[in-house]
Amino acid sequence: MTHQLPAVSTIDCRITGHALREARYSEMEELRVRPSPAGAPPMPPRFLRHADEHTIVGLHAVLDVIASKGLSAEALVGHAVVGAPCQMGRLATARVLVAMPAAGALAIKPHVVPQCSLHSLAGAVSVALGMHGPHLGVGGGVGALGEGLLAAATLLMSGGDPDCRGTWLVATEWDEEPALDDTATPIGDPLCRAIAVLLDATPRDDGDGEREPAVTLRVRPTHREKRVPFEAAGSSAIVALSRAITTALESGRSEAWTLACPWGVEVTLERRFHTRSLREAA
Amino acid sequence: MSGMKSMNRRDRAPREPVVITGRAAVTPLGCDVATILDRLFAGESGIREYIADERARTDTRFAGPITDLPVPPGVDPDEFKSLDSLEQYSLAAVINSLADAGFDDLREVATRPAAPRIGIVAGLGAEQMKFWETNSLGGGTTTFDACRDPMTVHRIAARIGLTGPAIATGAACGSSGYALALARAWLDAGWVDVCVAGGCDAMTATSIAAFYNLRALSRRADDPAKVSRPFDLARDGFVMSEGGAFFVLERRREAVARGAHLYGELAGIGMSSDGVHMVAPSTDPTQSARAITTAFADAGVTPDQIDYFNAHAASTPVGDVAEAASIRLACGDATDAIPVSSTKSMSGHLVSGAAAFEALVCLGAIERQAAPPTVNLDNPDPACPLLHVPHVARPCPITVTASNSFGFGGSNICIILRAA
Repeated sequence: MTHQLPAVSTIDCRITGHALREARYSEMEELRVRPSPAGAPPMPPRFLRHADEHTIVGLHAVLDVIASKGLSAEALVGHAVVGAPCQMGRLATARVLVAMPAAGALAIKPHVVPQCSLHSLAGAVSVALGMHGPHLGVGGGVGALGEGLLAAATLLMSGGDPDCRGTWLVATEWDEEPALDDTATPIGDPLCRAIAVLLDATPRDDGDGEREPAVTLRVRPTHREKRVPFEAAGSSAIVALSRAITTALESGRSEAWTLACPWGVEVTLERRFHTRSLREAA
Repeated sequence: MSGMKSMNRRDRAPREPVVITGRAAVTPLGCDVATILDRLFAGESGIREYIADERARTDTRFAGPITDLPVPPGVDPDEFKSLDSLEQYSLAAVINSLADAGFDDLREVATRPAAPRIGIVAGLGAEQMKFWETNSLGGGTTTFDACRDPMTVHRIAARIGLTGPAIATGAACGSSGYALALARAWLDAGWVDVCVAGGCDAMTATSIAAFYNLRALSRRADDPAKVSRPFDLARDGFVMSEGGAFFVLERRREAVARGAHLYGELAGIGMSSDGVHMVAPSTDPTQSARAITTAFADAGVTPDQIDYFNAHAASTPVGDVAEAASIRLACGDATDAIPVSSTKSMSGHLVSGAAAFEALVCLGAIERQAAPPTVNLDNPDPACPLLHVPHVARPCPITVTASNSFGFGGSNICIILRAA
């Protein structure tokens, strides 16, 4: 190729809400049946009965955002979801593998594939809240957050669903990947963590109306040779992202870093004042 | 690079067409594209007797396994044999698709003055479950240890020297279709100059048993070639298969500038979710039809311009009826003039690899000017009123094709491919 290559774009998204949720393994059964918080739509009955731990924590993070922002069920209909779990389904698979030698196929719960695969986190959020925008899972490994940010921004930009009104990024991880005993039970009481971020295409500041602060997320991939591992806030990029969003929103301080996943994605957070459109204000 | 710009959906310029310049597949029907298409258009089945693992003890007797996969060029045969089967299938299809597009030696390509940034998006929706199971049944301890292993797509990218972003997608049966969607968007954004996209799946004992226990698999035990029967009154579930396809995507202008062969244009994509159930498709076709009409609008075509429709139709009693309703709702009166077939009747269901494989079938339909058949369609279900292509391929002019993939969680995607 000798012709000039096209520009490398960044994609800008507005963060309209976010929440960090953590839960110990010992809390999962209670969280599995806990109703939605006040201000969030109710989930279908026994919806999380077969769900993976990542889905349980991830969906509750989404519900936290919905409750805090006062989003109605109708507002969620046009939303898309990107689920970016790290090692989701390992505990469920291990339980199957422990039971299979004795019981054969009967040991394999039919829900293990639909509930514990890469797509399942995003699928559960979409189904629980009746969303009609596209949903997909990305990543699956240690770089899932970076891959999720890139995929969510891509969905917002590409317009694969022109009716899409917002995109959720839900990234999950075990704080430390748990070792399992012979019965596939985690040793200790590991902590599962999720961040839910609601993204919107950045509006233009060209109208009259109330101006409000919001954090703009700017992302683009980088070349592998330029990557810089992001290791702030210990080893959890999820915690770091949550703190950075809060900091940018409260103090106006911009943050920029590169997530390794294992190539790179540059992420910049800036506080900007947006003019609420008439539709938003309504 | 000419600089950097910021964009969002409202700023998007008219799209530079994205074309397919390389293709490769690994399927139960063969591992080279010409053989696969020859067999498919001849109505041959890739389904055979197959037991994934005696330890699972399922009653499922038939599947579509990969056999005789050649070692791809540049890979040590012993090392290739040591790889997990899913990585073998994916690596072979990725390397062969790049070679088909003229990117035989990526290390050399990387030394060029304006070396293209090559990324990869791989629909690998069940790779970890597959990896953990294989490791554990093989005596390994990875599943129970506190370790995090690199993902298949990253291993492949590192092995062959891709310099752009690499990402895995999971959208159940639509996984590889979403991979194509993201890849096209990355080309639009200028994030890559070339993008390998597609997906693969590999069968395991637990995946077969899980689908069996969901009552999603056929329980027929007669002729393996007759088990997968989309749209037929006697259908009773799908047949698991493995493999998939990968493509090389480029912006048309650059592909033409370098003299690449153009197999077709990735002209339109539409995506939606039912938002109803984690397993069952919605009986309301509104959302799946919306994915189809969105794809039409994205491609700038109307239903009467669709020359062939590759249905998702996996041969399940509920799913095939729901899809027929979706197609009718989206295409209206034009439905009765659009040849529709389900090639899962011959390939079985490649799950994560299905959408990409069926995109390959659409390219084959354009190339051969014929609609491939739905075999075993002896008694079309009146609840699936479509212009079927039973038993034998139908020669007809084909310029624009559509392909559906609908998956668990109510995930819907429709892909429009057009002659380049």
